[in-house]
Amino acid sequence: MIKSVYSISLLAISSIAFLSCSDDEAPSTPVVSTTFTNLPADPGTGFDPMNGQPTGITGKFTFFNFKTGEIVPNADSATVGWDLGFRATSIIINSNTSGPGTSQVKLVDGIFDALTEAPIDGYFSDNDPSPIAGAPNTNLAIPTGSGQGWYTYDGAAMVNKPTAGKIIVVKTSDGRYAKMEILSYYKDAPAIPTFNNEARYYTFRYVYQPNETRSFE
Amino acid sequence: MFTKDFIFTAVIRFLSFLLLVPLITLSRQTSDTLTSKQLDEVVVTATRNERSMGALPMPVSLITNAQIKTIGSLRLNDVLTEQTGLVIVPQVNAQGNGIQMQGLNPDYTLILIDGEPIIGRYTGSLELSRIAVGSIKQIEIVKGPSSSLYGSDALAGVINIITERPQGNRGNFSTRYGTNNTFDMAGGMSLTGKKMGMYLFGNRFSSDGYDLSPENFGNTVSPFTNYTLNSKITYRISSDMDLTLSGRYFTESQQFNFEVESNGELIRTAGDGTTADWNFNPVFTHRVSEKLKTVARFYSTRYKTKTQLELESDGSPYYKDDFKQSFLRPELNAEYFFNKKSILTLGTGYIYERVQTSRYGDVERRTQETTYGLFQHEWFPTEKFLVIFGGRLDYNSIYGSQFSPKISTRFEVNKKLTLKMSGGVGFKAPDFRQLYFNFSNSAGGGYSVLGTEVAISRLAELDAAGQIEIYLFDPAKLGNLKAERSLSLNVGAHLEVSPSLRMELNTFRNSIDNLIETQAVAITTSGQSIYSYRNILRAYTQGIESDFSFRILKHVSLSFGYQMLFAKDKDVARAVKQGDVYWRDPNTLVTKRLNPTEYFGLYNRSRHTGNVKIFYANIKKGIEANLRIIYRGKFGVGDIRGNIQGQVIPASDRNNNSILDVYDQFVDGYAVVNISAAKTIKQLVRFQLGVDNLFDYTDSIVIPNLPGRLFYASVSCSFSKNKSSNKKLI
Repeated sequence: MIKSVYSISLLAISSIAFLSCSDDEAPSTPVVSTTFTNLPADPGTGFDPMNGQPTGITGKFTFFNFKTGEIVPNADSATVGWDLGFRATSIIINSNTSGPGTSQVKLVDGIFDALTEAPIDGYFSDNDPSPIAGAPNTNLAIPTGSGQGWYTYDGAAMVNKPTAGKIIVVKTSDGRYAKMEILSYYKDAPAIPTFNNEARYYTFRYVYQPNETRSFE
Repeated sequence: MFTKDFIFTAVIRFLSFLLLVPLITLSRQTSDTLTSKQLDEVVVTATRNERSMGALPMPVSLITNAQIKTIGSLRLNDVLTEQTGLVIVPQVNAQGNGIQMQGLNPDYTLILIDGEPIIGRYTGSLELSRIAVGSIKQIEIVKGPSSSLYGSDALAGVINIITERPQGNRGNFSTRYGTNNTFDMAGGMSLTGKKMGMYLFGNRFSSDGYDLSPENFGNTVSPFTNYTLNSKITYRISSDMDLTLSGRYFTESQQFNFEVESNGELIRTAGDGTTADWNFNPVFTHRVSEKLKTVARFYSTRYKTKTQLELESDGSPYYKDDFKQSFLRPELNAEYFFNKKSILTLGTGYIYERVQTSRYGDVERRTQETTYGLFQHEWFPTEKFLVIFGGRLDYNSIYGSQFSPKISTRFEVNKKLTLKMSGGVGFKAPDFRQLYFNFSNSAGGGYSVLGTEVAISRLAELDAAGQIEIYLFDPAKLGNLKAERSLSLNVGAHLEVSPSLRMELNTFRNSIDNLIETQAVAITTSGQSIYSYRNILRAYTQGIESDFSFRILKHVSLSFGYQMLFAKDKDVARAVKQGDVYWRDPNTLVTKRLNPTEYFGLYNRSRHTGNVKIFYANIKKGIEANLRIIYRGKFGVGDIRGNIQGQVIPASDRNNNSILDVYDQFVDGYAVVNISAAKTIKQLVRFQLGVDNLFDYTDSIVIPNLPGRLFYASVSCSFSKNKSSNKKLI
């Protein structure tokens, strides 16, 4: 019994070693899937436990850069140093009215891991024509609104649920591709969120291709 | 569990009852021989004419007065919940009861009393507990669309409650007491003379309600008292002319205690609600000749309900809600017998409907008018073959015209086997609520519902006031609701292996287009959702329903009922088939593609429902007993935006695809077991004891309409005066 446990752990160690080894050796780094947890999207200072509404919100976006995999300081909002900006349910991309960059996105339905290549065309920047004419906040390439973009509003639970199978493919300002899937809008990604959970915390999975190729493999 | 108060009130009521019995019996000089009532199997609902039930080509079932008495029911919902293929489902905010037939929502079943619609579909479906069963002669249930005869709402089917008519000189009185201080008292009386007959019925029903979650403020069902009065007067004008006047009056008052959430604060409120309806229906029948019968009727009915809540803290007014509806319908009908092989029915009528409610944001009366004409031909090419075809054309001032054809056929293969087939179109008009609602509910997290006729202007007002945080749907695309339409087919068979073994089988498919669904339109700056309505959904329901009944012993009979149901959103089913629907495991957060077999279907539909019933009846000894098990299989709960006693009703979707799939959270299947036993003494006094929901199955959040275990005891007495015998009873 003890022996078999020992041999399994040996195997595990060796496979980790193998993985890290192959990372070092390959000239073109294979892409990795990373999960970013709890990106704050203007959550405010707290929230009202009775109605789940945030208090003390700033109205500012939180910027993210795929290349570094980190949050970009808000002071750099006027640079091309960020790709996406998050504020509540709105996601902006660095383009047109949203920023000085030339980023584009395309929403794709599918399985995240199965999307091995970014589509050739069909990308939009912010301020391009939107699916809902005349409504505010719809000039975004990732439309806001239940069932319109990345989430569906569940009126019973009063929570926003990131729609399963919705992949956001991003073409960054420097022509690189990334794919992302939003997994949760609530802090620590609870399995069954309720309106008592702290909202406006994004958890998302992404793959960034640092090379000039549409491949995600 | 029997407190002093309980025993005291029970004793008082029993004593007063003992006093009443001799009074009534003495004054009526009843006979001790009561002609046992034959099972009268003539039904009117399927063709609008009196036809023997067995001879009809569409799925029809009948619940007789005797059956209702056997199961000890008091209200219509108690009776219907035990029928195969009918599921009692909670209404909006899970309050009240509605009936789901062939997997279609309560709004799609037309409910009639003596062929005339009951109004007061305040939240879409009709509160079935408004109907006391004491004056019911029989309940006729026709499944499949019947808009060809009844117009709007008869999409899933029709339930027609046939009330007693004056018949002989007789009367009955019954009283029942049970758990939750539920007390029912009913009396009926029939008097007939040479030309005139009169039937009168009165009922008082009261209950303390019940509380399934005592940890929360208020009751699940608040205490109420209601009264029902029914009367029917028949007058034979001449040998070929009859006049019937029937009327009903119902009133109910209820005391509420609610906890309301407002701006993040929990506020306790108390208040009362009243509901009343009345109707009046003169019917004039003229048998012009052997071949021609004409009927003229003028039905009018009104419904009103009012709720008023005050703050518990200082008694200041907090919330007011009222709703008034009236409905008027003159109609002319003619039935013409060409010969033995062909009967033609023609009809024409006009409907005027009016609604006035604070929920529409003003006191303006909203009206609509409908004019209609219908025809039906019953054709018997051979003795064993029957074809009925017909149609109805409705012209409505709001939704335009609708033509609803229907064809049914019946073929008697041999004496044991009969095949039936029926196909038709049904429709349901957009209701007043879907057109004119302008309602905000501050309870349950808060939401507003706007009818399509008012949504655009109201949203513009809110937007101008800076109250819209975000639009979820383009308001310009709202408006112009169309009638919901179904195309349905029922194919069935009736097999009578022997008089003691009968089987009934029916398969059905209802394909519905233009289903009106709430559409989330916007979220306000205070976080409240605004909903409106759209013709968005296309759905189908299909399944099999079957009933078997056997007489296993001389006094023991057994019956089984079962329905298998598939109810799906057509667009979702197609998307799943194309591989466009995904689900995300809530724990691993890994997304997968949903297989067609994994899509369960519409919310609130159980794949399996059924019942098993055992009846024992020894007429000689006057003893009867029964055991009934009613099963409802697992089902999902949609986004119903309601709450029960402050508790949010959780939606089933757990994997972020907004549809019900096999990985979601279901409400478990459950069975309700009811038993009762009765002893009748000298066909005069009947004692009954029973327990409903014997094993006390409850679920305070998703099945709040199911009370816990209910014990009851009832006493009833019948008396009649036969012209042939004048024996004194006492």
